[in-house]
Amino acid sequence: MEGLFFNVNGGYVEGIVRGYRNSLLSGQNYNNLTQCETIDDVKLQLGPAYGDFLAALPPNPSTSALAGKMTDKMVSEFRYLIAQSVGSTAKFLEYLTYGYMIDNIALLITGTLHERDTRELLERCHPLGWFETLPVLCVATNIEELYNSVLIETPLAAYFKGSLSHQDLDELNIEIVRNTLYKNYLEDFYNFVNSHPDFAGPTQEVMSEILQFEADRRSINITLNSFGTELSKQERRKLYPEFGNLYPEGSLMLSRAEDVEGVALAVSAVADYKNFFDAVGLSQGGGGLGGMGGGPADGKSLEDLFYQKEMEMSKVLFTRQFTPAVVYGWMKLKEQEIRNVTWISECIAQNQKERIGNFISVF
Amino acid sequence: MASATTYKDRQLLAVIGDEDSVTGLLLAGIGHVTEGAGGQRNFLVVDAKTETSQIEQAFQNFTQERKDIAVLLINQHVAERIRHSLDSFADPFPAVLEIPSKDHPYDPEKDSVLKRVRRLFGE
Amino acid sequence: MSGAVGREPVFPTRQSLGLMKSKLKGAETGHSLLKRKSEALTKRFREITRRIDEAKQKMGRVMQIAAFSLAEVSYAVGGDIGYQVQESAKQARFRVRAKQENVSGVFLPQFESYTQEGVNDFALTGLGKGGQQIQRCRETYARAVETLVELASLQTAFLILDEVIKVVNRRVNAIEHVIIPRTENTIKYINSELDELDREEFYRLKKVSGKKQRDNAAADAEILAARQKAAAEEAGKSPAAEEPGAADVLGEQEDNDVIF
Repeated sequence: MEGLFFNVNGGYVEGIVRGYRNSLLSGQNYNNLTQCETIDDVKLQLGPAYGDFLAALPPNPSTSALAGKMTDKMVSEFRYLIAQSVGSTAKFLEYLTYGYMIDNIALLITGTLHERDTRELLERCHPLGWFETLPVLCVATNIEELYNSVLIETPLAAYFKGSLSHQDLDELNIEIVRNTLYKNYLEDFYNFVNSHPDFAGPTQEVMSEILQFEADRRSINITLNSFGTELSKQERRKLYPEFGNLYPEGSLMLSRAEDVEGVALAVSAVADYKNFFDAVGLSQGGGGLGGMGGGPADGKSLEDLFYQKEMEMSKVLFTRQFTPAVVYGWMKLKEQEIRNVTWISECIAQNQKERIGNFISVF
Repeated sequence: MASATTYKDRQLLAVIGDEDSVTGLLLAGIGHVTEGAGGQRNFLVVDAKTETSQIEQAFQNFTQERKDIAVLLINQHVAERIRHSLDSFADPFPAVLEIPSKDHPYDPEKDSVLKRVRRLFGE
Repeated sequence: MSGAVGREPVFPTRQSLGLMKSKLKGAETGHSLLKRKSEALTKRFREITRRIDEAKQKMGRVMQIAAFSLAEVSYAVGGDIGYQVQESAKQARFRVRAKQENVSGVFLPQFESYTQEGVNDFALTGLGKGGQQIQRCRETYARAVETLVELASLQTAFLILDEVIKVVNRRVNAIEHVIIPRTENTIKYINSELDELDREEFYRLKKVSGKKQRDNAAADAEILAARQKAAAEEAGKSPAAEEPGAADVLGEQEDNDVIF
């Protein structure tokens, strides 16, 4: 029943995204890419998928230029989608951009704090996190002005309000600000897909799952990365999103964890995460933080496993119909693809062929 | 011969290079911003838009004006742009070291110091 | 030879001859010492040059590995951390300390890297994701920078040694080709002057003594004549035996004069 009227508004967008999905690089493409000798070869291999976007690149471009062009393509495709969507689907797509906006705002805050010319920063901003009023923020010369304009001008006001004051922007480490915003964003997004009547059914189901995973991943990462820093346990706890498979018991245990073993214990309730920790050998206690860096024998780190899991979930999203969640899946897959290609070309450019297989391909 | 006072307080490393090199070296912890208003940084990011005069100025600043820099690291392709300054700079302090960057592998032929080595041995 | 090198402007006296002789001796000792110093330095210099060459090659590899670890970071973070890193840098954590090493009296600085404890500008960078890669990257780069610092020490040593060796060699050559020949020339000059003086003196003394002899002979003859006259006047006794003895004494005095 829930799919009955979906196609009235969202059918076209969904169709387009399914088309986009087919142009994602497959295992075969990656195989070809890993055989390349130069960046030019890589460029050639990417030709069918990226076409015109790579044409402007000079011969033997730098990897960052290549990645930039690939991102451009993703951005233009996404812009097309957002232009074609209406109603709740459009709102959903907007939510997807908020994550990038947070990064952009964090960048501007950093620039303003150090009294740099923030206009120069605009081109460093992620194009997906671009919104019309972003340049307005550059007018702000001190942090209080910036804070006020963020509240007025940006869709992120809700994430600032209530959890961050303008003094906080000044005093807290930018990473804490960023993660606080991200936490609020995830919670809001989760709330949005769960409460909006249009999303009842498949969207709510799959998005809840994937957002819960995202929330857990952030909590775990924050905990692991905070060891050995001045981040206190109370502050750390404030950064955990208040939902997810680990919430509330796991989060509580995470907030108390003092070492990697504590984290492993906290996540052991969820089978997937337990497997990850077992796979990288963290739960044995022998690994420690150093071991985590070095990674286990097969070269996969915890982050790699999380990415792998995310990609699989994104892939599974496409088995669902009548939902804008496929856009989310496509974006994640596309981002991973750009990362993969960057990695491969980096390996080629720097003659580190032995690690070239260290990317994640799910097709 | 350098007297002891000229380098006892030289503790810092400085870097002029492309974004990746600078980021990496800063991650290693060499970054330093002097305290007080208008704090001076000990690094300069050079990209395609950076004027040669800016590089030149940073080079003079790090080698002549600042007395707290012991080693100046400079990307070789950046060094190429101000080669004449490098060639004419002969003081032992700070030590100027040409380093490779990600996109420009190291070429010993261009190194000012190695050139001197070669010349000395008549190669 | 003497025209090109010249000699010191001294009076040809015995005192300055002594001075010159000790100067020559000093110059010779100095020359051999400096020569040895120069050899020691050159040996060191060649060693450093070789090590620089090696270290530069090594640097190429190390920097490549480090750059690759940065690629890992950008893979894990999925974005650019450059700007943030540049802005968060405040206090240098990685510093160097200069030590001195004494090589044949030349002080060569040795940079020694150390990390300032408790300073960490990037502890929270990558908190959300990629933190582990960033930590790893930091370690890799810290190791790379250590290599760079090592190379910097070598290079500084190279520049200083280069300079010092030039100075020492200049001194060695100056002593060998200027100071020693000039001192030798001076000694030769003084000797010849002194000989000349001696010969003049000898001649003068000879002249004087000849004159004295003649005077004495005249006086003696007078005395003899007087005595003979007296003897002839007093008695028929002869005191002629004393006269050759007096001539002998005169001859001896003459010899003494020449030697003294």
